[in-house]
Amino acid sequence: MDLNFTKKQENFQIEVRSFLNDNLEPQVVEKVKNGIPITKEDSERWHQKLNEKGWLAGTWPKKYGGKEWDVVEKFIFEEECGSAGAPRIVPFGVGMLAPVLMKFGSQEQRDYWLPRMLTGEDWWCQGYSEPGSGSDLASLKTSAVRDGDYYIVNGQKTWTTFAQHANMIFCLVRTSNEGKPQEGISFILIDMNSPGIEVRPIITLDGSHEVNEIFFSDVKVPVKNLVGEENKGWTYAKYLLTHERTGNANVAVSKRKIQKLKKLADDAKKNEQPLSNDPMFASRLAQIEIDLQNLEITNLRTLASVENGEAPGAESSIIKILGSEIEQDIDNLTRKSLGKRAFVNEPDALSTGYNGAEVFPKAAAYASGKYFNHRKKSIYAGSNEIQKNIISKLMLNL
Amino acid sequence: MDFKPSPERQILFDTLKKYFENEYSLSDRNIAAHSDLGYSKKAWEAMRDLGILESLIDPELDGFGGTALDISTVFEALGRGLVVEPFLEVGILAAKVLSKGNEAQKSLVKKILENECLPILAHSETDTEYSKSFVETKLSVEADGSYKISGTKRMIKHASEATHFLVTCRNTGDASSKEGISIACIPTDREGIKIDSFATIDGGRVSDLTFTNVNISSEELVGELGMSYSIVSHAIDTGILAICSEALGIMERIKELTLEYLKTRKQFGVPIGKFQAIQHRMAQLLVEIEQARSSVINATIYFDDETEREKTISAAKFSIGKIGTLVAEESIQLHGGMGMTWEYDLGHYAKRLVLIDHEFGDEDFHLQKYISL
Repeated sequence: MDLNFTKKQENFQIEVRSFLNDNLEPQVVEKVKNGIPITKEDSERWHQKLNEKGWLAGTWPKKYGGKEWDVVEKFIFEEECGSAGAPRIVPFGVGMLAPVLMKFGSQEQRDYWLPRMLTGEDWWCQGYSEPGSGSDLASLKTSAVRDGDYYIVNGQKTWTTFAQHANMIFCLVRTSNEGKPQEGISFILIDMNSPGIEVRPIITLDGSHEVNEIFFSDVKVPVKNLVGEENKGWTYAKYLLTHERTGNANVAVSKRKIQKLKKLADDAKKNEQPLSNDPMFASRLAQIEIDLQNLEITNLRTLASVENGEAPGAESSIIKILGSEIEQDIDNLTRKSLGKRAFVNEPDALSTGYNGAEVFPKAAAYASGKYFNHRKKSIYAGSNEIQKNIISKLMLNL
Repeated sequence: MDFKPSPERQILFDTLKKYFENEYSLSDRNIAAHSDLGYSKKAWEAMRDLGILESLIDPELDGFGGTALDISTVFEALGRGLVVEPFLEVGILAAKVLSKGNEAQKSLVKKILENECLPILAHSETDTEYSKSFVETKLSVEADGSYKISGTKRMIKHASEATHFLVTCRNTGDASSKEGISIACIPTDREGIKIDSFATIDGGRVSDLTFTNVNISSEELVGELGMSYSIVSHAIDTGILAICSEALGIMERIKELTLEYLKTRKQFGVPIGKFQAIQHRMAQLLVEIEQARSSVINATIYFDDETEREKTISAAKFSIGKIGTLVAEESIQLHGGMGMTWEYDLGHYAKRLVLIDHEFGDEDFHLQKYISL
């Protein structure tokens, strides 16, 4: 048993750390650390910097402009970004669509779309969920009917993250009603500026705008935008979901949040003592810390098994459940630690140019909002109940 | 990064696993575990012949193992077998203490390996005080330089057949002070020792020991007078690592038994494992058991790191206590009535798993300890 990084991995860690130190913008880090959504421009500037370094798509093959990072290098990069409060790379293009194009797309599609992901010419969003098709994704109804060199798309997608920023969407659409629902699904790429597309914001319970619904009315999509074969989209979608579910441990982010919570609890008072001395609080905090330490090892064990050539199966479901629940536990305890100040909801107080009354402690500005916003973590990317179904099927063989 | 055990340890684990599956019948185990002796001498001797004790003991004392990884590997296998014989008490607690003693005491470790003695650590004194430094048993210094000890030790497992007691005692300091603790290694037939034994719920016998003005010579102290806390502390930390690993083995076995049951027991015409209400409970157990394993791996990695050992040990014992109880209760529930029977294996595993939380400090104790460190 050996938990150490190799010398090469250690050097890479140092390189990442120093790059982040030199290139992150303090006001963006401030937003990330407080859980405030960053702007499209914040993301684009960060993508640009990473791309100059060749790290926007570090896991990609070299021929497409990547560095061919293995799972450990990807892990090191993501953990260092998490600790430093770097914006998360918007995953829909480089992290999700790209692996599908590389495996199932045509050479023409790869040559056209992949470079544009790196330069930022395209901002992708993901058209999977529909109002009637959430966990039961294969029941989706948005239809694409072939008409000459085009598909005519009609239907509705929902929960589409950052559709308000996107100029492109990859979509699962129904091209056949024959056979099992899974057998009539195709994977196509649609220009968001096409006539007949309407994006409506969905405001979440914390008041923020991340997700949207998208309506398609007779939208014309060139046939060359079909990925792989018609009616084979479900295979590609599942392949994509396995990529979506890796890297959900968020250990570094959770560690950073625990440090912040400890600072809050040192400064807050309960029974005329620092809150951190309160036995009930200390007990809740210690349990989360221990769960997180255990997750750190569980996650490394998964990485080691991938590194040794054992593909990630349902292990990523274990990580997804634990990572999301631990992060929610931290958000929950952070909200509690603020006492009555948890009523405050002034997320703008964390942005530059805010003119209102100063919120103190500053973390209170969006702590409850973030707590409610992060309830999404056990719902998205395959709800934790779906993850348990996967574990039951693939690991327990029930 | 590599989490695989070394090939030698994997072979050791596989050998033991196979041995317990084929040679250590659970029904025989249960008869022995609930007998007056509390274990089977025949099984003890047969398992000694496999080299289990040697694998727990340092090479300089004639063993061939003794590292944290060796101990963790062996105890996970012992847990799978639900072994009730005194490997923890003799092979870990007593052997670790004696290995810090004088030449005569070190030679007792070699005699353990030759089956010529059965020393037992007599440390805990009250039922609810788990602190490693809690010792009230009094050691008084006599005019001729010899000593006498008086006091009570409680819930000492496998004490009734012991050849030697390693008795912790103090001549100075408050009841919980780390200063002033000594250890006396004495034959159990010494005058002034009373042994009251009890049956246990999970197998094996426990005893309350009363020491009344028991004579001790200066050569019988393990370590320096009043300076032996670190010896006891290290032995108990090793014991915690061992039973946490034992608990892992038990949980893995419970997982197997429960999965097998879910796939074979039919109700409403289908195996009950087809019901989502059951699947999700079982999937949750799997997630928790993986976390328990990670906690033990963490404690194993840091075991020889003086600054991190106690904290990671407490995190592991807390995790094992919390998750162990959950696994025991859930597995009984998932088995329905079958989980309630003496005849079926599961209940015996579940009992041991829950009672492990009562040894060396329960989940609450170790959570508090973790917070204080």
